[in-house]
Amino acid sequence: MATILTVDDSRSVRTIVAKQVRDLGFEVEEAEDGVQGLSKLGEREYDLVLLDVTMPNLDGPGMLAKMREIGNKTPVIMLTSESKRSVVSNVMKIGIADYILKPFKPEELRSKVLSVLQGEGAAEEVLAVSAEAPAPAPAADPAAARVEAGKQFVDVLVVDDMENVHKKLRGMLPGHVTLNGITSAQAALQSCRQRVYRVVLVDTEIPDVDSAVLAQQLKVLQPHAAFVALALRSSNDVLSEVRGQGFDNVLFKPFSQDNVDDFLSQYFDNLDLLTAEENVLKAAAFTGRPERVDKYYGRVAETFQSVLNKVAAACFEDVILDVSAAPTTGDRLVKFLLAAAEQTKQVGMRFAVVGTPELQKILNSYTETKEMRFYGSVQDAQAATQG
Amino acid sequence: MGAERLSEQLEQIVLKRIAEDSLVLPTLPSVVAKALEVLKDPDVSFKHVGTMIERDPVLAARVLRMATSAAFAGGTRKVTLPEALTRLGAKSVRTLLVEATAQKVFVSRDPKIADSMKRVWQHSVAVATLSRDVLALSGNTDSEAAYLAGLLHDVGKPVVASILLEFERQMTEVYNRPFIDSAEWVDVIGRTHRGVGVALGEKWQMPEQVTRCIRDCAEYDNADRASLVNIVCFSNSLAKKTGIYAGNIDADEVDALVMIGRSIIGASDEIIKTLTRGLKERLANLYD
Repeated sequence: MATILTVDDSRSVRTIVAKQVRDLGFEVEEAEDGVQGLSKLGEREYDLVLLDVTMPNLDGPGMLAKMREIGNKTPVIMLTSESKRSVVSNVMKIGIADYILKPFKPEELRSKVLSVLQGEGAAEEVLAVSAEAPAPAPAADPAAARVEAGKQFVDVLVVDDMENVHKKLRGMLPGHVTLNGITSAQAALQSCRQRVYRVVLVDTEIPDVDSAVLAQQLKVLQPHAAFVALALRSSNDVLSEVRGQGFDNVLFKPFSQDNVDDFLSQYFDNLDLLTAEENVLKAAAFTGRPERVDKYYGRVAETFQSVLNKVAAACFEDVILDVSAAPTTGDRLVKFLLAAAEQTKQVGMRFAVVGTPELQKILNSYTETKEMRFYGSVQDAQAATQG
Repeated sequence: MGAERLSEQLEQIVLKRIAEDSLVLPTLPSVVAKALEVLKDPDVSFKHVGTMIERDPVLAARVLRMATSAAFAGGTRKVTLPEALTRLGAKSVRTLLVEATAQKVFVSRDPKIADSMKRVWQHSVAVATLSRDVLALSGNTDSEAAYLAGLLHDVGKPVVASILLEFERQMTEVYNRPFIDSAEWVDVIGRTHRGVGVALGEKWQMPEQVTRCIRDCAEYDNADRASLVNIVCFSNSLAKKTGIYAGNIDADEVDALVMIGRSIIGASDEIIKTLTRGLKERLANLYD
């Protein structure tokens, strides 16, 4: 267990810090000035020192300098009410891992203590100086941000001064996709401070608002979200224009169900349409409208080869493809299974299918598929392939 | 007279001129001054403002270009000046007018300072953009004030540079005496530009919080964490850290300012990455 030394002449600060550090599961010891601090450091090793600047007898910079002089490299976080750049610059030169200005929020102390103990860098490494840094992933999983911030998670934020736009889009999205409609820039900023969104849609025609600037500001608050411009088809290359403004994509107004469905596929369809656990591949359920089945199978087929390669790389001899949740209407599933069987054969593996009794009947009705190894459950397939 | 002494005297002369209100400062063009005055009226007629602005074709073109950018609905349809002004809104138009005027202050025909003043302008645009973005983290929503404060935080520099050029000519051409070297130029500008910038901000009737930023943004104000001064101070250090800056910087002090700012503003590393990601590319179109 890590042990932390808090050095501060204020008993109340030491008490608050000690409580919060103990709450994180670490041991903590206290010193009320630099002299005591150095003495404690001479007695045992600590994993981190939380150090005040202004103290009697020996101040923080003095203690830090002596620590480094005698070769003590324990990481130090300055925890101080001193914000003069000359003072902070001097202690940075001697060597500190981070800095917290008093009064501080418990979450800041927690995150910086954890960050330093986990060996993460501070200010110098945080800048994103490269233009090649990737844009937010289309369907980036916001779970981490959600847990960290403890904020309410909502799928979509629509920022458009016309309430009818929110209403229309709401009507075209499936019920499980949550949506907040906001009509002003100010309210959007407020909302982004309080919630975590997966996709933020910003109208390009909000009166008195520069949408690109608003999007950038919202992006600061929602670093994990994808940003999509709501725009009219006013030129031939709106997509390039809005990308130049920092958006990831565009959704055209007035909405068509096809465009909204494409939007859903891009940002909300389960990216894990095909998941693998050892050598069992499972196709996710299809939840869209019937006319979108082709797109669903297109995406499953796209994913299949890469998932297959991973299974092959793990030296399994059989691939079990569970398509129980996949739609059986039309011949799309059969075509996909034929292609999947062929791909599996090409990598030198054997192919087995798990599905519903209805699928079994369908497969038996085609010459090309009636010989395909079929099982009613994953367990049956595993038992058969292992045997 | 030693260079150091000369440098101190120049600083005294500049500060004395400010105190006596005898410093010749760039004025707002009459079109801009009138338009800014009219725009204070919440019921302003954009047709009326359009009539004023069209007297300055360069300014009018700038308004039209901004209004037809993708950020303001874009498109290829031609719009009239009043339509463009309506689309932008009063706040954005005010900022655009001040920005266009400020940019001229940073343009010098003297090759000795032209390049460095251009880079100071680019740094100012970066700080303005970052300030507007950083503002999203605080409860304050006046993004135009943040933009202006960032844009004007170094506006005293080109003015002091022009004054130094004038002194240099007098010393070398009239009195045939040596002048200070370039390092001392930078030093004098650094020590005097804030006072000159404040004087200019007041002359242009900028909001009080904007002139306060020009005066105080070299250090954080930890008594008021959400203040515009802190936002501009943090943005200034981020722009320098990102390499968008003219002249020499003390890297240790910049690191210290970024580190303090992370705590005072409450910016996580993730947020700082979002702020600075592709900043140079985003700004490339904003300099002209």
